[in-house]
Amino acid sequence: MLNKKFWRQGEPFVWATGLALSLILCLTLSLLFVVLANGIAVFWPREVRLATLSDGGGSLLGEIVREEEIPGSGQKRLQFKIGNRDLYGLDFRWVDATKIAELSRPEQAYVLERLEFGNFYGFLKELSLPGLALPPGEEDLPAALAAIGPQQREVARLDSAIAAVNRRVEVLDRRLASLGHRKEADSPAAVALRGEKERLGKEFALLVDELGRRRLELLRNEAVFLAADGREKSIALANIVRAYQPNTMGLFAKGRYYLLRLHELFFAEPREANTEGGLFPAIFGTVLLIFLMSILSFPLGVLAGIYLREYAREGCLVKMVRIAVNNLAGIPSIVYGIFGLGFFVYGIGGGIDQLFFPERLPTPTFGTGGILWASLTLGLLTVPVVIVATEEALGAIPPGIREGSQALAATRFQTLTKILLPMASPGILTGFILAMARAAGEVAPLMITGVVKLAPALPLDSTFPYLHLDRKFMHLGFHIYDIGFQSPNVEAAKPMVYVTTLLLIVIVLLMTSTAIHLRNRMRARYAVSDV
Amino acid sequence: MQKLDRQFIKKVRRRDRIATRIISAGGLLVIASVIAILLLIVKVTLPLFLPATATPLPEMPGAQRLAEELAVGIDDYQEVAYTVDRQGNFAFHSLASGELIEKIPAPAGKEGLTVKAVELHRNNIYTLLWSDHSVSAASVSFRLFFAEDGRRSLLPELEVLADLPAAAVGPTAALAAAVRTDGDGTTTLVALLADQSFQIVRETTRTDLFDNETRETTSFRLAEELPGRITTFAVDEAGETLYAGTENGSLLRWELNGQGEARRTDNVVATSDNQAVTALAMVFGDISVAVGDAGGNLATWSRVTTGGEEAQTKKLRKIHSLAAHQSAVTAILPSRRSKTLVSLDAGGTVHLDHMTSESHLLAVQGRLNRFGISGRDNSLIGLGADGRLAAWHIDNPHPEVSLKTLFGKVWYESYDEPAHVWQSSAGNDDFEPKLSIVPLLFGTIKGTLYAMLFAVPLAVFGAVYTSQFATLSFRKAIKPMVEIMASVPSVVIGFLIALWLAPIIERAIVTVILACLLLPLLFFLLTNSLRPLYKTPALQSRVGGYEFLLLIPLLLLTVALANAMAPTLESLLFGGSFRQWLFDEAGMRYDQRNSIIIAFGLGIAVIPLIFSITEDAISNIPPSLAAASLALGASRWQTIWRVVLPSASPGIFAAIMIGLGRCVGETMIVLMATGNTPIMDWSIFNGMRTLSANIAVEIPEAPHGGTLYRVLFLCATLLFALTFVLNTGAEMIRERLRKKYGRY
Repeated sequence: MLNKKFWRQGEPFVWATGLALSLILCLTLSLLFVVLANGIAVFWPREVRLATLSDGGGSLLGEIVREEEIPGSGQKRLQFKIGNRDLYGLDFRWVDATKIAELSRPEQAYVLERLEFGNFYGFLKELSLPGLALPPGEEDLPAALAAIGPQQREVARLDSAIAAVNRRVEVLDRRLASLGHRKEADSPAAVALRGEKERLGKEFALLVDELGRRRLELLRNEAVFLAADGREKSIALANIVRAYQPNTMGLFAKGRYYLLRLHELFFAEPREANTEGGLFPAIFGTVLLIFLMSILSFPLGVLAGIYLREYAREGCLVKMVRIAVNNLAGIPSIVYGIFGLGFFVYGIGGGIDQLFFPERLPTPTFGTGGILWASLTLGLLTVPVVIVATEEALGAIPPGIREGSQALAATRFQTLTKILLPMASPGILTGFILAMARAAGEVAPLMITGVVKLAPALPLDSTFPYLHLDRKFMHLGFHIYDIGFQSPNVEAAKPMVYVTTLLLIVIVLLMTSTAIHLRNRMRARYAVSDV
Repeated sequence: MQKLDRQFIKKVRRRDRIATRIISAGGLLVIASVIAILLLIVKVTLPLFLPATATPLPEMPGAQRLAEELAVGIDDYQEVAYTVDRQGNFAFHSLASGELIEKIPAPAGKEGLTVKAVELHRNNIYTLLWSDHSVSAASVSFRLFFAEDGRRSLLPELEVLADLPAAAVGPTAALAAAVRTDGDGTTTLVALLADQSFQIVRETTRTDLFDNETRETTSFRLAEELPGRITTFAVDEAGETLYAGTENGSLLRWELNGQGEARRTDNVVATSDNQAVTALAMVFGDISVAVGDAGGNLATWSRVTTGGEEAQTKKLRKIHSLAAHQSAVTAILPSRRSKTLVSLDAGGTVHLDHMTSESHLLAVQGRLNRFGISGRDNSLIGLGADGRLAAWHIDNPHPEVSLKTLFGKVWYESYDEPAHVWQSSAGNDDFEPKLSIVPLLFGTIKGTLYAMLFAVPLAVFGAVYTSQFATLSFRKAIKPMVEIMASVPSVVIGFLIALWLAPIIERAIVTVILACLLLPLLFFLLTNSLRPLYKTPALQSRVGGYEFLLLIPLLLLTVALANAMAPTLESLLFGGSFRQWLFDEAGMRYDQRNSIIIAFGLGIAVIPLIFSITEDAISNIPPSLAAASLALGASRWQTIWRVVLPSASPGIFAAIMIGLGRCVGETMIVLMATGNTPIMDWSIFNGMRTLSANIAVEIPEAPHGGTLYRVLFLCATLLFALTFVLNTGAEMIRERLRKKYGRY
């Protein structure tokens, strides 16, 4: 009897709905937790273990990355990151726990971050520093690394000088091609250009010579390391990005290292097919993309929103347009992407190439993906968001305010600029931020309108015309897809993917929560003025 | 003062007028362009469905009577027409001026001879059978030549590929001959002799390291008892397969090998009423043969595997029937770029048909006796019965696509039955793209369906709980949290489920299944044991609003229990490995990136969306309704189930539709986590390829303006239409709901 009543009253169903909610919460929180846990710890230096294997399997040195049970046996196995890709071929190795005779934590173990072949784990054997005059007794690795700093900077300076000469030659080539296209290949201007090019060629050769010499000199400074299996490996100091001994580091040293890596993340170029190094070009590309997108999308969206709410006469047409605009916000982003490709890249871009850069054809200038087309596509994608937000913000203003303003003989335009827009600004701002958050997270339309895994140059630099809208760019979201799915060594790339993911999530969530906070404040304001 | 005022007012008014105009024009423009721009996508796909056209080119001036010519041809630029006359001369004329550019005589030593028969291979290789039964083969080509002053001209070239003396051809008179040469120095001659036998001559020239040429010739007769007189025959590119048609409709096929042997593989009746086979040609790719008969029927035949598991044999079967001619088909010319066939009938009409799509592209009436096409399929030339040359420009950019090939089952070459296939590219040159949208639509529907099965109950119930049972402070906190969750980029979700979750689930698939079974069981036990709780109202009110928190331990317990039981269960029931068992017992493969993963990923993406809209819909139901119901003694669940939910159902429906729209169009998650194989299989352990991921995968390789490019735009149009319908429907329902309850 009681049972029946209990079910008829439906309390179990209430609990069932509660179960649904707790499932949702658990799922989303666990996903967030995974990103956080994996992303935050990436840069914290991990201790290095030396494992001596029983039955003559030698020994190995590396970080213990994972520990899991072997299915069906109750035994454990450990995954070591052993690095030394140039020696072993693989970065990771699974070892059964039972096979490990001894697990020690050697104090002298070094971890090297290198320019190529990933990390190196080993012990320092000797230094050979013919090009450095270190005071005797102070010939240790950190001092040597610090001492080659000036030489490395000199090489970098030469590198950029060569790049500058290259760029100037490129410009000359382009002007020559343009003259050739106008059939003025023999004009005095062209002759002068050729002379200039020859001169630059000589300068280029000199610089390359100098660079080669310096490089060789730099590469003579080497350190010899012993890997865990006893093999010797000499590594040029110039190839070492960073060297540390994690087993001797204290909390403070580790914290310093963490900050160093964080600095590198934000301000350095990526290395090793994007799996190491920094994210600077990707962050820069994302920010510039959002900026360009905003320039296009915000004014147009606000204009359309104002028109729809304040100027258009309410009627069937406006209603249909409103539904259509609401709808556009729900159109899949890949559809916008393919439209951007067909219309912007091939249509407008192809047209610009025909008109302004015929001498470079068939190599496209604007007729291929680039940051301009990507931001236009994103702009199109976010215009509906801005229109809807503007409309809603204006619509939430009580009609009495408009009437009051007009009763005081203000024109419609004055009402708009002096009263309505200031009042609606938090709502419109919310729309902006939501649009920017959406743009920051979209990847699919960018993939077909100009994002690349490694852009040779930033779209913004110090050569005329400074902002190169035709250039391809890098993007945080695409970076995740690229290194997570198209990298040759997915396992080694994972830490970087987690860091990038964490960064992207933090950016997007910060923007969204700001928007939501703003909206709630605005709501509170109108709740008062409504009374 | 007053004057100033008036001026000021004028200024203000003017500003207002200008602003009104600018805002109206700008606003309208933005809205119109946003909508028009999307319509442009549709425009790109339209050429797919436009019919092929043939535009007559201006008649060549000064045309002589050419009725005696044996063959005609034209170049790709539609500048030069050429003819082959009875003396074996190739005469090249400019189409625009009619003047003779060049007349290249046949190979030397044929003076005084006439040509008995011409066989055309590809569109430019002519085998000439001379009156003394010697055979020569020559190919016509055009070289683009730029003069000093930049003028371009086309230079015709004739390359003699083979020249065989009469003695090599055979003892008796030959009726027809065909020569095939491959690039490596092998020449094959197939000649039909007057006594209904074939003479097959294969010459192989090998060059060794020191440039010494060795020539090897094998020659043999193929004299078999035949079902009837041979009317026509066709040889493939490699010279290894011979087809012959007879006067009583039989189609015969031989395989010729290098050792001088021929093996008859097929003998089938290829026409109805035993009508004579009048024309044969190998379709591009050399897999199918096109058969034209005296009744004007045109069909393609290909070898198909038949028979059961044990006795599998390959047999010639009719695969495609093409549009019939009015009279007997006299010649068939296959295109060199696609599976298009150009055929001529006795009445002088030329048909353009595409084999795979079975679509009849074009019919050109011209009372033609001879015809030829250019290498790029863009020009057709014919010699009329009246001796005049007529040429057409053919515009036929997408012959392989029709509504039938996009949405219907298509019988592709080398397939044993018609099927829906998406395969846009392959390694070989003569590959035919297979562009069926059905597997992609299937993938989209499959992914969406599983995702919605996962997401809808969770999101809707969760929203019901949040809006009706949860405490007010919790409600206020959860709403922005859900909105923030909705903005998590899909690339993040895709990465997490594909690289983090998929391997975990692969290892612990039994745990997952077990947890899904255990959860309802444990939940049932828990709720039953809760009954005493409801005897003490004080405790009940304490718990009310926090049920979901109390249930989290239950979830954790379920997962832990399932995890603990899984290994034992797996070794007991499935012999240690569930995946192996699945493959052995059910024949199902387990993909790491499968529908479970997708359902989860898409679910995570849409749950916040559905949750948020549902919660709005339920919260907007006037509280007086619920209050009245509660006052009448209904329990809180009865009130929700019978009063609130029915009122909110249109809003919930709209939420589900918007969620559907998002699922259908989601790209990054499915791109990363489905494996992207376009298979049609409902199994939850397999992946799929969706419309959206397909666009992302294929568009970088699709040449601008090509068929694939346009088909991908069609995919985008479909996606656009699908989401537009879903979203508009949802929007209209919400609009109605808003009106009904008079609140925002």
